[in-house]
Amino acid sequence: MHVKIEAVSIVPATTLNRPATVFAVLSLIAIAGFAGVTRLANRYQEQQKAFARRLFARGVENQKDSRFDRAIEDFRAALTYDHDNSQYQLSLARALRDTGRTSEAEAYLVNLWERSPQDGFVNLALGRLAAREALTEKAIQYYHNAAYGVWPSNAEANRRNVEFELIEFLLRQGARPQAEAELIAFSAAIPNDPGILTRTAELFAKAGTLERSLPLYQRALQLDPKSPSALKGAGAAAFQIGHYREAENYLRQAMEVDTNDNESRELLETSTLLLLMDPFEPHLGSTERLRRLRAAVAQAGKRLSQCSAAADSTDSTLAGLNTSWVQMNNRVEHLTSMDTEASDAAMALIAQIEEETQKQCGTGGPADRALHLLSAKRNGGEQ
Amino acid sequence: MSETSTPAVSPVVDQNPETTFQRLAKNISREERFFLVIAVFIGIFAGLGVVCFRLFIEWSRIGFLGPLPQAGDVRLLIAPTAVGVLVTLLVLYIFPQVRGSGVNQTKAALYIYNGYIFFRTAIGKFITAALAIGSGQSLGPEDPSLQIGASLASALGRRLQLSRERLRLLAPVGAAAGLAAAFNAPISAVLFVIEEVIGRWSAGILGSVVLSAISSVVVMRWFLGSEPLFRIPAVGLVRPTELIAYAVLGIVGGLAASFFAKAIGYLRPRLRACPRWTQYIQIPLAGFLIGLIGFFGAPQVMGAGYEYMDQAIHDQFTWKMLAILALLKIIATTLSFVSGTPGGMFAPTLFVGAMLGGAVGGLERQFYPHLTGSTATYALVGMGVLFAGFLRAPMTSVFMVLEVSGNYSIIVPVIVANTFAYLISRSLQRTPIFDLLTRQDGLDLPSMEEQREERILRVEDAMQSPTAPVLESSQTVQQASQFVQQSEADMFLVHVPPSGWTTVGRDLLKRLIGEGKAELTLLSALPTQSLPYVHPDLPLEMALRYVYEFPMIPVVSRANYGKLEGVISREAVLNKYKVVTRTA
Repeated sequence: MHVKIEAVSIVPATTLNRPATVFAVLSLIAIAGFAGVTRLANRYQEQQKAFARRLFARGVENQKDSRFDRAIEDFRAALTYDHDNSQYQLSLARALRDTGRTSEAEAYLVNLWERSPQDGFVNLALGRLAAREALTEKAIQYYHNAAYGVWPSNAEANRRNVEFELIEFLLRQGARPQAEAELIAFSAAIPNDPGILTRTAELFAKAGTLERSLPLYQRALQLDPKSPSALKGAGAAAFQIGHYREAENYLRQAMEVDTNDNESRELLETSTLLLLMDPFEPHLGSTERLRRLRAAVAQAGKRLSQCSAAADSTDSTLAGLNTSWVQMNNRVEHLTSMDTEASDAAMALIAQIEEETQKQCGTGGPADRALHLLSAKRNGGEQ
Repeated sequence: MSETSTPAVSPVVDQNPETTFQRLAKNISREERFFLVIAVFIGIFAGLGVVCFRLFIEWSRIGFLGPLPQAGDVRLLIAPTAVGVLVTLLVLYIFPQVRGSGVNQTKAALYIYNGYIFFRTAIGKFITAALAIGSGQSLGPEDPSLQIGASLASALGRRLQLSRERLRLLAPVGAAAGLAAAFNAPISAVLFVIEEVIGRWSAGILGSVVLSAISSVVVMRWFLGSEPLFRIPAVGLVRPTELIAYAVLGIVGGLAASFFAKAIGYLRPRLRACPRWTQYIQIPLAGFLIGLIGFFGAPQVMGAGYEYMDQAIHDQFTWKMLAILALLKIIATTLSFVSGTPGGMFAPTLFVGAMLGGAVGGLERQFYPHLTGSTATYALVGMGVLFAGFLRAPMTSVFMVLEVSGNYSIIVPVIVANTFAYLISRSLQRTPIFDLLTRQDGLDLPSMEEQREERILRVEDAMQSPTAPVLESSQTVQQASQFVQQSEADMFLVHVPPSGWTTVGRDLLKRLIGEGKAELTLLSALPTQSLPYVHPDLPLEMALRYVYEFPMIPVVSRANYGKLEGVISREAVLNKYKVVTRTA
């Protein structure tokens, strides 16, 4: 189709000759129009926001009462009246995430993130969403964004919580080295707050780094000596490291603070028993050491005979162990003083017996558990 | 380079050509600029008007139905019925021109009324459509916005005393502005106005239409925000074989669109033919029936329904519910529209499309769980499908989906599904809905779909190989005379290097020899009159302009004007038109 440029005048001379006047008049009309519509639009938006606030408040109530579907309905309705409200969008996204509608939640969150990529809340929500879907790399990225992001209030506390959440997520995912790396970085600037120290120590313990866990518990206990969780954690950590005397001390205090703590009670009993049975405890006389060694060998023999009776009598391993035990028992009975070589051989045989009987007959009584730990510690220490 | 040339013709002598040219160029340039500035103001005014229109609709909705309409609320029955009575009185006694969507009225203004639309129509449309949509009538605000924009533009043009030609052009400029602001989609608005209102691509008006559309969208976003209509979760096509699933959606959508169009086409004239007194109850009755649908469990079908489309996109309904909503919306919109309620068809079309798309997608996933397309994807494609099938604007339908969602990753499924929907709808419903409504109103406006598909005759269709020998202007008259002796033709083409052409007759050659000019070359002996020439790809109507003046026109190559491709004569052109008319 051809462009036809008309050669005749299409705008009357009166208008064309006064373009400035026309422009000015139209501009004035436009300005007046803008002013009028601005007033109307402001009124409209105020009204819309009032509706939105009302619906949002109702949604929050429903969410508190675990009526998630109703809460989602209310949040959605609130958003129809206040499209750009980040708080409503975030709440809706969280509610959607909590009800398993992850793709929908992600759509809202990504939209929010695009608008404010630094926002701590949004990054945290996206991190949680990624964590829920086990997308480790994505989760780490969003959690880090949240940790270094902008928080309108309680920035320090929020950042710490994000770090803790990330570490817990990594531990759940079995990513121990990453979790440990995060923990080490985090603990470098940890404040002197017993709660934070205890939680960090717990996470180190979960990550299997007990050597880093125990000092943090101890720091926490310096600040709050009666902290039940710190006492309990310190006792457990010391127990697992093999510092049974220290463990007994913490666990005893933990029991004083919380008498209903069965876990600590059990560990305390084992620690006490262990300390009573250990022939290698410092400050013991030679006679006492020998007595304890003989008692340990006798206990192992008792466990072996009970297990042999319960298990298959033709089992060659148990039979072999029984032969070795008889020889060891004779040897120990004929000792007149503590012999390092004999005691080490005895502890090695005890460890073998306890492991094999545990394998074939299940966990034994408290004395056997203590013996098992003792022999394992002795052998581990030697190794 | 111009399309046709007459290189050897002497220009008309002007006493002061430079001054005239300069004045003309300055005048044209000033007018063009002036018109573009007017287009921007039209966009601003249309944007302001549409913002007010949307606020008014929202206030009406909240006032009549409450902030969260729920099934079982008696207001759902009372509001559309009572407001229907008010709208009826306004339509019958004060604003008789405001019935229907507004697209055809704008088109009629362009083609029949020289771009003239009463400003009163804009006011009437504003009030009645806002009341109707706000009270729950199943119609949308886009088409009325289009008409409001066109009406504002027309009023401004008249106030500025623009010429008829420019006034006619202003209506689509305003229409694009109105639609763009209503949809928050300037590209789709421009395309729709070009595709459905103007019907042709015209560079002369494109700039103004684009400027006004953008201005209005800027104004609208200033007041109402720049968010797209829908928030779409990430979508994409994982496997190309999944396009089959979208093709199925296109087929279903095409069938639904035809059903929708046929229902309106069948019922509208019958209701109009009813006794006059029934006109007092048609709109309230439609409102009551729609209210019943809302009251008994589907308030989603009331009003424009954008929030529910958003919910459908975000997987809030089961596929069965989506299918039910699509069907109920078709019924509700048909009731609203055929009763003559002022309001638009765009939003209901998108609603039906979104619901149908979601339903088809959900159903497909029941049988083929490995399909990766989400409900949002299907709903989005469904919108385009209905737009292409029902409104029959295929190009707009694609861009509309992209713009309203702000998501460009879904273009391939949209194109595939829309093509199927468009083809099926065309085969089942020959006349597009807007043309059908126009004809029912007794108007004969050009059908854009027919125009789009009309075969354009070109010069090459009528040109013939030159049978007579072609002479060179360097030949002498004597040589030329001998050269043409064997030919039976009376008229011969003469090539005047490098790119000129002229003709010479056998009689003239004889006369020149008789005058003793036998040894002169044809260039010096022939009068200075050159032939216009045409190219094979030009429309045949271009050749028609010259064949009455010249018995033979050379058809030359665009690469080499001296290379003759054929000749075209008056008889050949007329014969071609006769053949085409007979075939049609």
